[in-house]
Formats: sequence, structure tokens, C-alpha cells
Amino acid sequence: MAMAKALIFRETIHRLERIGLGYVLLLLGLVGLVGWGASSYLSQQWTRGLWVTGMNTPAYWGIYIVNFVLFIGLSAGGILVAALVHAVGIERFRPVARIAEILAISCLVLATVFIMLDLGRPERFFHLLLYGRMSSPLVWDVIVINVYLAISMALGYFSTRADLIHCMRELPRRRWLYRMLSLGYTDLSPQALERDHRILRTLAFAAIPAAIGLHSVTAWIFGLVKARPGWHSALIAPLFVVSAIVSGLALVIVAVVVSRRAFRLPIADHVVKDLGLLLAFLIPVLGYFLFAELLTVVYAREPAPLAVFREMMVGSYAPIFWFNLLLGLLLPLLVLMNPPRRVVLAGSAVATGVVAIAVTRFEIPLAGLLPFLPTQVALGIPPTAIVAVFWAFGLALPLLLLVSPKGLTPARIGIAAALVVLGVVAERTNIVLPPLLERLMPYPAGPGYFPTLVEISIVVGTYALGVLAFAFLAKLFPLVELSHEEREAA
Amino acid sequence: MPRWGMVIDLDKCTACQSCTVACRVENNVPIAGQRDSSNGRAIFWNEVIPVIEGDGTHLKGRFIPRPCMHCENPPCVQVCPVGATFKDAEGIVRQDYQRCIGCRYCTVACPYGARYFNWRAPEFAESHASYRNPDAPARPRPVGVVEKCTFCVQRIERARRRVAAEGRELRDGDVVPACVQTCPGRARFFGDLDDKHSQVSRLARSPRALRFLEDLGTRPQVIYLMEG
Repeated sequence: MAMAKALIFRETIHRLERIGLGYVLLLLGLVGLVGWGASSYLSQQWTRGLWVTGMNTPAYWGIYIVNFVLFIGLSAGGILVAALVHAVGIERFRPVARIAEILAISCLVLATVFIMLDLGRPERFFHLLLYGRMSSPLVWDVIVINVYLAISMALGYFSTRADLIHCMRELPRRRWLYRMLSLGYTDLSPQALERDHRILRTLAFAAIPAAIGLHSVTAWIFGLVKARPGWHSALIAPLFVVSAIVSGLALVIVAVVVSRRAFRLPIADHVVKDLGLLLAFLIPVLGYFLFAELLTVVYAREPAPLAVFREMMVGSYAPIFWFNLLLGLLLPLLVLMNPPRRVVLAGSAVATGVVAIAVTRFEIPLAGLLPFLPTQVALGIPPTAIVAVFWAFGLALPLLLLVSPKGLTPARIGIAAALVVLGVVAERTNIVLPPLLERLMPYPAGPGYFPTLVEISIVVGTYALGVLAFAFLAKLFPLVELSHEEREAA
Repeated sequence: MPRWGMVIDLDKCTACQSCTVACRVENNVPIAGQRDSSNGRAIFWNEVIPVIEGDGTHLKGRFIPRPCMHCENPPCVQVCPVGATFKDAEGIVRQDYQRCIGCRYCTVACPYGARYFNWRAPEFAESHASYRNPDAPARPRPVGVVEKCTFCVQRIERARRRVAAEGRELRDGDVVPACVQTCPGRARFFGDLDDKHSQVSRLARSPRALRFLEDLGTRPQVIYLMEG
């Protein structure tokens, strides 16, 4: 047993130096994408201003801000897992803690990149530090992002330090690198490790209020603006906290599922499964928050917020809204629950019936529900038929393909988690964009918003930068915290 | 210290758009051109908003000339992260183009849509070169910052210099913004809201007086006289 552990230990460390062709190709591809984005930025946006984006009056903000909010949220997964491991002491999640911490830091860095991309005068960003004014939620965000980043970096450092020293001993060629990364603190005595442990515990506890602060302040950038009825809600801060945790956890799962295969990490199937169950537990909480917000607006029928939600639910943002709800929340939840196939069939039959009756009874405009097939209603196809097709192909069919009698596999959990991440992308899009288009003064409708190729290139390049950072770090130190027994055995 | 305010009489407004044009010339607001206009990139320090009301059989067209409301409690100033937009001593909401970082939070937070972002560097036709206003506060703004109506602050300065030369105090009617000067229907009035006897404060007490979106608590200093 000790032999096996020692083997895992050596194997994990020595694999760091083995760089395969696939890895090199991945890096080259990512560098290419980053270069593409960077050249779009430098040759277009930097020289010609935000004119090259699809933003306009009144769509003052676009996908840069959507991604800023998204990545702030995605960083929550790291803190969730770190808190569970270091503060609460749930040991079974220890193997994924480091991946989670790396994601937290890189997502935060990407979020600040996105806010920089959005500035009309990026060269003046230091004005935020020179002239920062406390009445602006944006300044609160600058502060809380930095606090959170500092805590995440400290967490990352103290939970990686011991492994860095082991790497230093095992890989003589990279000795200088690990000495640098460990900041010269190479003490591995039981007292030093115990101190690391205590510091980690404190940091993990400090990270919880910092995380709640981070997501609330990011929400308040929107929620405190009374000029935008779709944003101006007290629920938006808790909603952001919940959707940050859900999306962050989902991203951790995706990264774990992909990297345990790609880098052959010693992460057991049951760890992934437990993460998946935790996600399944949290999805309904997010659904509940969305429903509470929706019900308040739709029931109260105040014209301005209602107009925003109408645009969102049956207007031009409806595909994004229904994607979020059905494929981003409901489908992954069902996949994670992994019901038997016959239950899926029976359930979707019942759901088809219920929805068909609801659609006919309440005259729900189907053209909005099915934006890709708006002509179907015009062609005289009965609503019930469309509903049946919609449920069968939209939900039941992917579900049938994803449920398995063998139980949940890590790959399926990864797909469900990826859908949750995409769902939150949709949710963030709908939180940021539709309220901008609804104006309180009776202006004629603007041209709407659609991102330009330049904008999309820059966003894709920034995503690639994030994946690149992750791939790079994966070969810098073990992505899995080497357990105490493994170290002992070695 | 005056507290500048404007009154717009909607009964007298003929929606001729002269205010928009005069403002554009006075303040060097670039002409966007057809393509940028239809893409939502045009800048209007003053805009005449057409409002069509009714249900097809009883249509009614209304027009709302909209400068900046220069709110007493401006949401844009509250949210600006760098203090680039501020309320000056005379109640005017001003913009520091050298400090603005172009985050557009103020444009988002303004309920009136009175703030505009420079999506591109301003361009002026060769033929307009000699018509450009050389006054410092009206200099064309660089790309990437937010700009807006200033109540023609350069005209306030000029009026101050003139009355100082004449050796007297500012009187009601000494300061005339471009939109007020040009209005053929004489629908616009400008003056000190704190002076109980000024034309604007008398009109502001009219039973027809209304401030837009008053329930937001912004307390605009542009007061409309509704159609009778």
C-alpha cells in the first residue's frame, strides 16, 4: 500500500516534466487564439475606440461586461471548495482543491481583464486608484476584488507550498523555479506544516465573507441603479451569490473532469460524483431565486420591469432565457439525478401534457418560446404539437442520451456541469443586456445590440488566455494536492 | 451664487429642432452621419424626443425637448468611480474629460438618457472649420469619454466677464444658453432658480410645471410646463 502511494507521488511529480505532443499543440493553438484576440484589440479597439464594438446608445454595455460579471461569479467555485476543505475539513474534496483555487485566481484575473477591455480610456485605469470615489459601487468592486484576490493567492500559496518543496527535491532541473515560487520558505518540519494548516484554516474562513462581499458588490453595480428597472431589485445580490456558487462549482467540475483525463491526475470517480451531487443540490436554490424575482415582477405588473422581463421571456432575448432555464438548469439537474429511462419517458409525456394545456389555456405566445421556429404557428401547426416536439427534442432526447443505467459517470457529470456553466453565461447575458434597452424616457427603440467580430475575437482570445494559464500551471506544479500519506510513503 | 435651471414650455414648442442644431454648433458636437446615427452612435446634448400616443384611431404626437436635467441629486455623479462627473457650485452637472475613464456607468445610471459616450474620435467637415466654437469648455471631446449638456457653461462665463466689465451684478436674462437663444417659439427659459423673482422660478411655480421621473428622487433642475 505504501509502495503504491509512493508510486503515485513520484509519478505525479515526474509527469510534470513530461511534455507531450498533444500538450504542445494545445499550447500553440491557445497562443494562436490569444494572438488573434490581442491583434484584434490592438489593431482595432485600441486605435479606433469602442466604435468597433456593437455597443451603442442605449446598449452602453455589451459582452465585455457580461463576461466580467460571469468571471467574477465563476471565481466562487474555488472559494467554495477551499472553504469546504480547509475550513470545514471535508477531506474528500482535497484532491480538487488546488484546481479550484487556480480557477478562482484565473477567473478573477480574467474578470479584471474584461473590465479593462470595456473602458473607453483604458490607459487611464489608474484614475480608479488616484481619484477613486467611495460613492461608486465600481470602486467598492475594485477594493473587494483586490481583497479577494489577495486571500485567494495566499490560500493558493499555503496549500501549494509543501508540494513545491517536494517538487524541488524530486526535479533538480527546476529547482530554481520552485525555490522562487515557494518564496524561499522551504521548511517542511511538522511544526511548519501545522502552521500552514492553521493559516489555511484562517484564510478559508476569511474567504467566505470576502466571497459574499465580492458577489454582492458586483450585483450592486447593477442593483443600485434605479434608472434600470430590470436591475433595481434587492434580490439581485443574493441571486448573484447563489449563481456565482453554482457556476463556480460547475466550472470546477468541468476543469476536474477534463484535466484528470488530460493530465492523468489521481482524482477518484467518487470525488467527481460527490461534486456533481453538490451541484444537483444547489441548482434548485438558484432556480428558486430566479423564480422569486420573476414572480414579483410578473405579478406586480409594474410597466417598466415588466417590459424588461417581457423582452427577456418572449422577446428577442427569449432564446437565451429559455436556454438558461431548460438546458442550463433543468436538464443538468435531471442528468445529475440520473433517473431510469422509463421514468424519463413517462415524465416527459406528463410534462408535454401539462405544458400543452398551459400553453393553450393561458395563450402563451409560442413564437417567443420557440424563437427558432416562429413560422410554425403561422403555418397553422397546433400549439400542442409544437410543445410535444419541443419537449421531446429539446429536453427528453438529450436526457435519454445522458442518463445511464450504469449510474452517473464522470463524463456525464462533466457534460451536465458544462451545461450549467453555459446556462449561467445565458443568465448573465440576460441580467446585463435587456435592462439597458428599456428606457424610462419615451425614446424610440435603438438599434439593439449584437457583438461585432472584433468584440467576439477579443472575448475568445481572453478565454484562451485563461485556458492557457491553466494549462501552463498544470505543468508547473501538481494539480492535485499530494496527500499526507503519499508524502510519508515517498 | 445662482442655482441655474431651465424651464421648457411644451405648449410653445413646435418641435422644429432648432435647439438641437444650435446646441450642436455652440458646443462642437460632431455630426455623426447616417451610418453611425442608425447604429446608435449619434450624440445629442439636446434631443427632441418624438412621442406617439394613442391606439391607431386616436393618435397624438408629442415632442419632448431634452437637455441634461442637471439633477439636484444626480445618479450619474453618485456612480462615477473617479469623480469625472461632478456638480459644480452653481448646480450644473459637469464632466471632466481628462479624468473620465470611459466606463459608461454614468450613461447607464442616468434615467433621462442625457449622457453620451464618444464611440469614436469626433470628426468635423472641412466646411465647418470656421464655424467651430473656440471657447475652451466647448472644445471637441476626445474619443472614449462621456459628454453631455453643460447649460452652455462657456456662455455663463462670458456673461460674468461682460457684467464685470460693465461694473454690475448678474441680472435675470444675462445668461442665455444657445438652445434658449435660438428657440423660435420662445419655449425655453433660463435663469437662477434660487432667485424668487427670476422668470424661471416664477414659471417653475406654475400649476403646469412638472419634472420628469420625479419619483426617482433625482430632483431635476429642468422643469417642463405641460401642454394645457
